[in-house]
Amino acid sequence: MKNKATLRKVLRYIRKYIGLMLLSMLLAVITVAGALAIPILIGNVIDCLVPVNGVINIDAIPPMLLVIGIVAGITALLQWLMGVINNRIVFDVVRDIRNDAFRHIEVLPLSYLDTKSTGDIVSRVISDADQFADGLLLGFSQLFTGVVTILGTLGFMLALDPWITLAVVVLTPVSLLVARFIANSTYNMFKKRSEILGEQTACIDETIGNQKTVKAFCREDEATAKFEEINERLEKCSLRATFFSSLTNPSTRFVNSLVYAAVGLFGALSVIDGSATGAAGITVGELSCFLSYANRYTKPFNEISGVVTELQNALACAARLFELIEEPPQSPDAENALVLNDAKGSIKAEDVSFSYVPDRGLIEGFNIEIKPGQKVAIVGPTGCGKTTFINLLMRFYDVTGGAIYADGTDIRNITRRSLRSSYGMVLQETRLITGTIRDNIVMGKPDATDEEVIAAAKASHAHSFIKRLPQGYNTPIGEDGGTLSQGQKQLLCITRIMLCQPPMLILDEATSSIDTRTELKIQDAFMKLMKGRTSFIVAHRLSTIRDADVILVMNNGSIIEQGTHESLLSAGGFYARLYNSQFSEI
Amino acid sequence: MKKLLKYLTHGYLKETILAPLFKCTEAVLELFVPLVVADIIDTGIGNGDKDHVVLMCAVLVGLGALGLAFSITAQFFAAKAATGFSKTVGNALFRHIQTLSYSDLDEMGTSTLMTRMTSDLTQVQTGVNMTLRLLLRSPFVVFGAMIMAFTIDVSSALIFAVTIPVLAAVVMGIMLAGLPLYGKVRAGLDRLLGRTRENLSGARVIRAFCIEDRETEKFAHENDSLTHVQRTAGRISALMNPITFALINLAIIVLIRTGALRVEAGLLTQGQVVALYNYMSQILVELIKFADLIITITKAAACGKRIQSALDGGTGMEGGSEKDGRADSPYSVEFRGVCFRYGNAAENSLTGIDFRAEKGSVIGIIGGTGSGKTTLVNLIPRFYDASDGEVLIDGRSVKEYDIEALRGKIGVVPQKAVLFAGTLRENMQWRDNNAADEEILAALATAQAKDIIDKKENGLDCRVEQGGANFSGGQRQRLTIARALVGAPEILILDDSSSALDFATDAALRSALRSLKDTTVFIVSQRTSSIMHADRIIVLDDGKAAGIGTHAELLESCDVYKEIYDSQFRKEGGESA
Repeated sequence: MKNKATLRKVLRYIRKYIGLMLLSMLLAVITVAGALAIPILIGNVIDCLVPVNGVINIDAIPPMLLVIGIVAGITALLQWLMGVINNRIVFDVVRDIRNDAFRHIEVLPLSYLDTKSTGDIVSRVISDADQFADGLLLGFSQLFTGVVTILGTLGFMLALDPWITLAVVVLTPVSLLVARFIANSTYNMFKKRSEILGEQTACIDETIGNQKTVKAFCREDEATAKFEEINERLEKCSLRATFFSSLTNPSTRFVNSLVYAAVGLFGALSVIDGSATGAAGITVGELSCFLSYANRYTKPFNEISGVVTELQNALACAARLFELIEEPPQSPDAENALVLNDAKGSIKAEDVSFSYVPDRGLIEGFNIEIKPGQKVAIVGPTGCGKTTFINLLMRFYDVTGGAIYADGTDIRNITRRSLRSSYGMVLQETRLITGTIRDNIVMGKPDATDEEVIAAAKASHAHSFIKRLPQGYNTPIGEDGGTLSQGQKQLLCITRIMLCQPPMLILDEATSSIDTRTELKIQDAFMKLMKGRTSFIVAHRLSTIRDADVILVMNNGSIIEQGTHESLLSAGGFYARLYNSQFSEI
Repeated sequence: MKKLLKYLTHGYLKETILAPLFKCTEAVLELFVPLVVADIIDTGIGNGDKDHVVLMCAVLVGLGALGLAFSITAQFFAAKAATGFSKTVGNALFRHIQTLSYSDLDEMGTSTLMTRMTSDLTQVQTGVNMTLRLLLRSPFVVFGAMIMAFTIDVSSALIFAVTIPVLAAVVMGIMLAGLPLYGKVRAGLDRLLGRTRENLSGARVIRAFCIEDRETEKFAHENDSLTHVQRTAGRISALMNPITFALINLAIIVLIRTGALRVEAGLLTQGQVVALYNYMSQILVELIKFADLIITITKAAACGKRIQSALDGGTGMEGGSEKDGRADSPYSVEFRGVCFRYGNAAENSLTGIDFRAEKGSVIGIIGGTGSGKTTLVNLIPRFYDASDGEVLIDGRSVKEYDIEALRGKIGVVPQKAVLFAGTLRENMQWRDNNAADEEILAALATAQAKDIIDKKENGLDCRVEQGGANFSGGQRQRLTIARALVGAPEILILDDSSSALDFATDAALRSALRSLKDTTVFIVSQRTSSIMHADRIIVLDDGKAAGIGTHAELLESCDVYKEIYDSQFRKEGGESA
């Protein structure tokens, strides 16, 4: 049922290439016909080799051979063409699906991306798509020609001799049954094997992934013993599964040789009877043709059962891809959504409530009013929900109740693009993209001049390390920053916002990986940047946020205190305790 | 590669020889089939002898049955050798990895080692299995068919002698042309993978800067170039079947043409021509199988080479024989002019470090990112050897100690807080397999982790998922501290181990650690508050000791320390971030 739905979706992608599809099918019929005609033509030639009245009609042979040559040549050419067309359809279809999947990733709500593992999504877009391509290609190139071959051979054989054909038709399915029987009985062995394999991978992952810890505690022997125990079980299980599944080929080969012997027997007898009575028998040439057909007829049967498994696998992969593509995207921007230009920076939260999980409220009845240019600090222990607040401000998540207003407009009525570009964001977790240093700096302002870039880098104190890199600003950096240190990556992230100078700032532990001395030096630049700009600052070190206009103290997801440093200290609440613990005696 | 094969020929010599042997016997039987068919045509049909036909068909069935028996035996030996081989190599590699030193691990990279152990090994197993089953069989059938052709008729067989090398050349040529393209396809896939991964993990940044469209465009572009390479590769490999098909048919045409002349001359029978034709067809089938096999083997060989290099890599670390330190030494840890340089780094990570730590004292280590804090503490349990100078524990050089005895004295809490799958008790017994519950609970209390297990229904028996995934970062950090405390270590090393703890918990932890009178404690931190009350503080700056002393002394004498301190404890009215 599910496969059918997936198949329909796959066909929707293929429809674009319907012309090529039809051409490919036509070519399949022609090439199979060509390939099947050749044994008959050869059989005819062989029949000429019987002396009639002591003479072989040798002159009749060359023209017949010429025909064979032409048929073989054309068939080969068309086979290649079919292969090229099949490749083209499959690779283009997979490209289209991949593009759709990626485009969809860019509009999926963050709530989806945050809860799904990256590895899982990546494997859908990359390896599932790849396996789907392999299966589809195999299906195209073998399934259709296989079926045509079976039907064609059957037709040709029937035309030659119905009785021998009957023998072939009755015997051949035996090989299918044998193959099916073996596949079924090894299924459990393979399942067991992949279970143990999973266990082994987990063991490797755990031990070797944390090899240094293992060594620090001298746990090498225990780890080895555990691994070898699993490995022992894996060997036993693998041996059984590998051996029993490898019986398929010999067994079907045996059945095929039975078919071959049967054709030889009935064929030869028919030839003898024919020449004895001088009537309805087959010739030696036809027998040789029959024998070659018997081989051809059984081959696709064996292949098709393999292809069907592959195709099922391919469909399963496609289903995982479609699952991703069909995941509901974030709500689109409202049609009359406002474009927020040159935001002044007043932010108001009115009775905001929010939760990640429907029935577990996280933020409730939250109110705040921030005037343009104010500096807002958010503090609290790890996991208290500081990031949640930022998620709401940037509309990575939408509030579940109440509303947040920017410059007096509900942010849900502002285009995401304009809202987000009004903020400059530096997160604790630095993210760089593959490209050059410059590419990473100009992310928010692609048309920046070199002078602007260098000025921004000087302001963030990143210039000195960048210019020491082999190619300066044009040094390529690998995925997620490659060899740059955590601190250097953070400096680059700061440079980004120094360059685009957005009207509002969000600094989430923006300097956590930079040593405190360099941090001091960047402070100046930050101070200048924050002047007149509404800024939100998350910091662990309370000493850095004392002069904030508003301090929001969060705990367990809700805002429990709100005020200035002095007012909160004198209130003697949570903030005061948190603040004083920094200086407590050991 | 050769050394890897040793594992095959030593442990599984019998299987390695018998599997191909049986397989070739099966192939010989197959080669008789066309001869039997020729006999049916020439003797059976030629003489109208039905009994002979029946007999010969029975022979065909017999050949098939014998072939089945031989082939099953061969499959068994091949499977046995392949799985056994992969087990032996897996064990050897795993054991080898356990002997690697920290420097070896840095150099080789753990993720590389993990791929060697998993997917590379599986590929090799398949490779060995297929090789034993097919590598000898296909050439055997091809050349066997040619030899059989020679026994039938020498001049016709010459056509075989020409066709086979031409076919082999074509098959090899197409494969060689295709292989580099497949490398490019892989590289293209890797690029797409990288792009997808970074768009997922960096989703916030990408959306914050509104560069979704640009990224989509880049992806589509890379996807296009991948498709382009795939098409080219596909076009080349699609040549394989048609060309071999055309060549074989050409050969058959020539074969029948010369055959016809020789039949006319009375040198050949009709049945023999059919037999020659059948041999030619067999060659086609085998050659294509052989080409597939070569691809599998090439892949497996590449994986095998990588496994071999992992097995050869690393030098390990030689331990000494001493179990105990000198009883008279007042110092628990002593560094004498220690320098350290990582593998092939250009500069020293540590230079000229000198200090002594009395038994039971608390030593704080502070400095900026990359100043060498972790490197310094890693020299104490001899995770690395100093490139110059000497590290002493209890008055004896770390190199003189038996490694297990040395590390048994030391409890380490690494930066990365990982637990291992199992129960919590098992995790806590890492330093001491026989640690009693009371001792574990005491350690948990010291590490401020008591509340974690109090909340768990089955206490110490609660399950720990792989990596400790069912605990939060802060919980894991406290549990790893407790793990290091079990078995009363003489030296405790906390490498930035309280970063995920809030200030209040951190302070409580520090005061609990103070009460361990017999343990020398090393605390590495970026926060002045974590180390300011230590008996001695080592301030590292760019691998050198910028100052060693108490908090008060350093505030007076050490500019670096003062700067760090001021950046964290600013005077009232100071600027802030």
